[in-house]
Amino acid sequence: MGKVIKYEKDNIDTDVILPGQYLKLHDYDEIAKHAMEGIDPNFHSKVQKGDFLVAGRNFGCGSSREHAPIALSQCGIKGVIAVTFARIFYRNAVDGGFLLPIEVDEETYKKISDGDQIEIDISKNQIKNLTKNQIYSMKPFSEIVAKIIEAGGLFKYKPD
Amino acid sequence: MAKTLFEKIWDSHKVDEIDGRSLIYIDRHMVHEVTSPQAFDGLRINKRRVRRPDLTFATMDHNVPTTNRSLPIADQISAMQIKTLEKNCQEFGIPLFGLDSPYQGIVHVIGPELGITLPGATIVCGDSHTSTHGAFGAFALGIGTSDVEHVLATQCLVLDKPKTFEIRVDGKRKNTHAITAKDIILSIIKKIGTAGGNGTVLEYRGQAISDLSMDERMTMCNMSIEGGARAGLVAPDQKTFDYLGGRKYTPKNYDELVEKWKDTLKTDDGAKFDKSFAIDASQIIPQVSWGTNPSMTADVTESVPDPAEFAKGDSSQEIAAKNALQYMDLKSGTPITDIKIDRVFIGSCTNARLQDLVEAASIIKGRKASPNVRVMVVPGSQQVKKKAEEMGLDKIFKDANFEWRESGCSMCLGMNPDILSRGERCASTSNRNFEGRQGAGGRTHLVSPIMAAAAAIAGHFVDVREWV
Repeated sequence: MGKVIKYEKDNIDTDVILPGQYLKLHDYDEIAKHAMEGIDPNFHSKVQKGDFLVAGRNFGCGSSREHAPIALSQCGIKGVIAVTFARIFYRNAVDGGFLLPIEVDEETYKKISDGDQIEIDISKNQIKNLTKNQIYSMKPFSEIVAKIIEAGGLFKYKPD
Repeated sequence: MAKTLFEKIWDSHKVDEIDGRSLIYIDRHMVHEVTSPQAFDGLRINKRRVRRPDLTFATMDHNVPTTNRSLPIADQISAMQIKTLEKNCQEFGIPLFGLDSPYQGIVHVIGPELGITLPGATIVCGDSHTSTHGAFGAFALGIGTSDVEHVLATQCLVLDKPKTFEIRVDGKRKNTHAITAKDIILSIIKKIGTAGGNGTVLEYRGQAISDLSMDERMTMCNMSIEGGARAGLVAPDQKTFDYLGGRKYTPKNYDELVEKWKDTLKTDDGAKFDKSFAIDASQIIPQVSWGTNPSMTADVTESVPDPAEFAKGDSSQEIAAKNALQYMDLKSGTPITDIKIDRVFIGSCTNARLQDLVEAASIIKGRKASPNVRVMVVPGSQQVKKKAEEMGLDKIFKDANFEWRESGCSMCLGMNPDILSRGERCASTSNRNFEGRQGAGGRTHLVSPIMAAAAAIAGHFVDVREWV
């Protein structure tokens, strides 16, 4: 269970998720302090372990910097729920085993509010909104993405 | 069966299929200082070596100073990141074009310049603008650090097969100086949107693409990622083969390869693309972005749009446009040519090759930058810088009070000291006008090099067609 931190925006880009000036940092905790700084300088202090970030279309567009999912994950974000993702961000989130990139339809995106408590059930492809007592479906992960997520990242995944 | 160029490259590099994804062999891997340190750490922890150091090439570009290279780097954290790449390259036996190398430069400028980039090849780099190399008929894509580690260790990448997207640019540009490849690609992104190419590889085709020089094709392919695509490419032709001949890493059997490529590296007649889009080059005029993503772009003759008109009924786009105008401190209805600027940046992997600098210099001869505007010219590589100086371009820039600097990514992404101050407005030849991209609170307008140079002189945007 985690709480929702929602930004009603499309095209939240990697420069907003982690501004370029912090790409020289090597320490994950230091990187995490600047997560989402371009949109919400207080983000870091709002997050508790297991929380979810909710946003609109094309989340994570722009740079290939893996520092973006690292920053979110190291803050405590368990998953990002968005209508669509930019592909490099999606890959980085999965391959590095950092966080769950969960795609939902526009309706579901609108129903989830900032501060809601939610739970994800990957086996049922379901999102439970405990605050509103609602259940939504999420787009299933592809076969290999599900396996990499289960393994905890590309390097821990072993093909059958 | 008739195949597209991309499908041919894909099929010839497929090693295996695993759980519905393909294992693709990588011909060239470019490495830079920012997205590689954790990948090398991973190799060390797991006691792995670099599988093909001979196919891996490193340079430092994102974080390097563009001022005097004989001085030590003032920022200790930056200095450490650069030192780390030197140490990693030494430990793993990877060739490095370091700060003192005559071949140092932006990774996507030096790849083609050194003949590392080849037609029909698969090329990866931990940088989204790796799509640039597609200009040579390569399948080139940006990857994150985990994938960088995977390629270092295995020389392969696990990929879902992207769909194919034909981008036809027919017709001829009305003015080949004032209307550039940058204006073509911005016009395309304006239409297809920032996610229009999501999950696809673009193939740019048509008369206007054949007419482009290699430098211009690189500008087009570079910004494929701004349309959401995995990669973008152009089928190689005689211009491509001529460009790559006789360079530092051009293969010894190059002529033989060219003969083979001529027959194979093209989309077959009758091959089907999953998607298609067409635009007429004769209708394109100089472009200026007004918002906070590259699709928020207007013709130079237009005004800053009304968010509702821009959004065409999409409420989320309307909110985005309103927010963008607020961030950019612009009012709907303001003519683009009335927008005054504080800074100009001519540089980046999009527009810092020799032709870009030649075009920018061509309209400033005998003129001076507006006294209120600070202008930085940052060549894409030390080789570009050297050639530009041989042509006397540095003198033209300096005479106009433009700063002439050392090569690197510089103000494109604001990692080094080259940044905008809060509220400053910049005409930039780079690729992203995201909030804070060029420095927190900085405002970016994307334009071509010749438009940027003209704006530097005038102090505001101008329709450069009236100047050339």
